[in-house]
Amino acid sequence: MRPVIPPISPRSSQYGVDPALVGKRVCELPGMTSVALSDLFPDLPQVIFPGAGGVAGVRRATLEAVEKVDMTKIRPEHSVNILASHHGFTLLGGEPYTEMLKTLRDVIEQRTGCRDIRLRAGVGLRFRETEEYIRRYGLDRYFQGKAIGVAPIDEGFPIATELGTLYGIRKVYDADWIVHAHNSDVREVHFHRQVDRAVKPFGMSYARIETRSTYHQNLGPRAANFTARAIFDSPFVQKKFAFASFLTVAPNGIVGVDADNDLYALNDRVTRLGCTLYGKMMTLFGEIDECIVALDFPCPVVYVFAAGVIYANFAGANTDLYDLELPLPAYTWYTEAFYGKRGKPLLEDIPPLNPAIRMCVHNYAWTGYPSAFFSEHIPTVMVGQEQADLFRRDPQNLNYMKHAVVAESMESAMEFAKKTTGTEKVLIFDGAMGGINLSEPLAEFLLQKAPTVARRVDEELLPKWLRQRGIPLSGAAG
Amino acid sequence: MKIVNMLAVVDVAKCTGCKTCERVCPVLAIKVVNKVAVVDEKDCRSCYACEQRCPEYAIAMVKRAHPFVVGVDIDSVEYERVARLCAKARFNPEQLVCYCSATRAEEVAAAILKGADTPERISLVTGVRTGCKVECIEPILRLLEAAGIQPVPPKGGWQWYGRTVTAWEIPEATKKKYASRGFYFDEDIELLDRVTIAPLQGRRES
Repeated sequence: MRPVIPPISPRSSQYGVDPALVGKRVCELPGMTSVALSDLFPDLPQVIFPGAGGVAGVRRATLEAVEKVDMTKIRPEHSVNILASHHGFTLLGGEPYTEMLKTLRDVIEQRTGCRDIRLRAGVGLRFRETEEYIRRYGLDRYFQGKAIGVAPIDEGFPIATELGTLYGIRKVYDADWIVHAHNSDVREVHFHRQVDRAVKPFGMSYARIETRSTYHQNLGPRAANFTARAIFDSPFVQKKFAFASFLTVAPNGIVGVDADNDLYALNDRVTRLGCTLYGKMMTLFGEIDECIVALDFPCPVVYVFAAGVIYANFAGANTDLYDLELPLPAYTWYTEAFYGKRGKPLLEDIPPLNPAIRMCVHNYAWTGYPSAFFSEHIPTVMVGQEQADLFRRDPQNLNYMKHAVVAESMESAMEFAKKTTGTEKVLIFDGAMGGINLSEPLAEFLLQKAPTVARRVDEELLPKWLRQRGIPLSGAAG
Repeated sequence: MKIVNMLAVVDVAKCTGCKTCERVCPVLAIKVVNKVAVVDEKDCRSCYACEQRCPEYAIAMVKRAHPFVVGVDIDSVEYERVARLCAKARFNPEQLVCYCSATRAEEVAAAILKGADTPERISLVTGVRTGCKVECIEPILRLLEAAGIQPVPPKGGWQWYGRTVTAWEIPEATKKKYASRGFYFDEDIELLDRVTIAPLQGRRES
C-alpha cells in the first residue's frame, strides 16, 4: 500500500485551537495508507497544482486566461475591487488562490493603467477569517494597503432585483468596477446543488445577512440558488461587473484558470466541471457501507476536506446530491430546520444523515459554523479538553459538546471508535493533496468499487444531472 | 433558548469611538458614550459581533463568572395562538429558525405574543440571531409581519434593513423564464407547505 500523504498543517487562527495543541495527526496511526485519486479515476485531468513548479503554473494560467478578457472599460482614473472569498484560501493550502489574486492585480494594472485596485475578501460565518488570510499571504502589502475583509453584518445597501429588494455589502461595490475572483471547487454542493455555482458569491460572501437569510430560510433548498442570480442580474451589479476569473479545480488539484466577461458562459463550464469531475468522487463515497470519519483539517467541522469533498457532503453521501429531483439532501440547513423537537424529521421522506458514518473522531477542526446537528446525530469523540472548551465558548456551537464526548488523545479516541463500532474502515478528512488518507481496508474497498461507479456516473447519472441543469451533454469541459 | 456564557469587554485605551460595535450589536447592548464604547453587561448576549468587527481590535470576549440562560417559556402563551402565528408566517412551530441557538419558530412567536416587537427585543429574550448573526433575520421579520408588526431598523445601525422575498412571492414570469435551469421553484413551495402543516413532535401531540 502507498504511504500516507502529508496532511494540511494546522493553522494559527482564532477559530481553532493553538496548532501546538494538535498532537499526532490521524494519518500517522499504524495501518493508515493513501489512495491516489488518479488510481480511482484514471480520467481525472492533469493538474497544474500541486506540482514541481509550485504556484508559477497558476500565474501562467491566469495570464493566459485573462488574455481573452476585455478590460477596455477600465480606465486609468477608475477604481477596481477584486472580489475574493474565504473559501479559495482553504484550497490546497491557499497559495494557488492567492497567486491568482496577485496576478489579477498585476495584469489589470498593466493592461488598463488603473492603479486604484483593491481587494475585498468576503467571508462565511467567521468574520475575521479573510483578515487572517490577508495577513498570512501578504496580500495587504501586495495590494498596497488596499486589502480588507468584509462581513455580512457590515454596512449594507439595497439592490433592486427581479425578486424585489435584496441587500449587498457596501464595501464590496464601492469601486467603479468589480472583478469576481473565485473558483470552481464544488464545496457546498449540498446547498447549491451545482446550480449557478459560479454566481453564488453574489448571494453569499458579497451579500448582507438579509440576502443570505433569504437563501437559507425563505426560498427552499433548490429555489434558493436564484437569490444570487437575482442580484447579479440587477442593473446595479451589471453596470459594475467587469469580468470573472476562476481557479478551475478537480478533486486532485488545480486544473487551470478560466476567465470571461460573460459570467453565465463561465457558469455553464463550471457546472459541467462540477458534475463531471466531482460526481464520481461523491458517488464513490456514497458506496461506503461503514466507516469512522476523522476530522483533521484547519476549517470548521463541515468544511474539512478529503478528495476535494467536504465532510458536510459525505454526511449526505447516502443520497445523490446532484439529483435535483431529490428536494432535500441528508444535510442542508433546510433539512436541519425540518427536524422537530424529538430530534426526528418532520416529514417521513427526509433522509437521515449518512448511516455509514458510525462515529466521528474530531481530532482538529474549527469553530465558526453551527455544527451541533452533526454531533447530535453522529456519535462524536472530541480530542482534547482545550478544543472542547473552545467549542463551548463559540456562540455558533454552544450545543456541540452536549452531544460529544472528550478523549485525552487522538490515539485513545480512535481506539474507542474502533472498539465501539467494530469497523476498521477509517476515512480521514485532512486535505491530503492528490489522494485520500485512509485505513487499508477502506482503501481496498474504494479501489474495488471505483470502476463500477465511474461507469454508472458516465452512462446513467451524468446525463441526468446535466439535463436537470439545462446543460447540453456534449461540449468542452472548459 | 441560549446559554449566555461570555461577555464583551472594551479596552478603552484602544477604542476610538467609531461606533462600529454599536451598529452591529443585535441586541443594542453596546453604545458609544463620550467617545468610548460601553457594554451593558446584563443585555450582552455573547454573540461576538462587536469583537469580530471592531476595526481597532479593542473588544475581547471573556468568560462570565455567572452564565445564564435566556429563553421564552412556550407554556406561558396559549399554544393555539403560537401555532396560528407560525402558520401565518408559513413556519411549522417546531421548525428551527436559528441553527446556532436551536431556537424554533414557536419560541420566536411566543416572544412576539408576549410583547417583543422588534428583532432586537426578540434576540434579547430568546437568544435568536446571537450565534452566527446572519441566517435568521428573515424568519424573525416574517413572524413579526404575520403578527401585524412593522418594525423599524435601529437608526443609523446596520443590524438589519428589511424583509425580503419568500418562495410564495416569486413572480410567475421569473419561474417560467428560468424553468430549465434547475431552480425547482414550485416543487420547493410544495415542500415548504408540507413542512408547515407537518404533525408536531412536542409533548402536546403525544
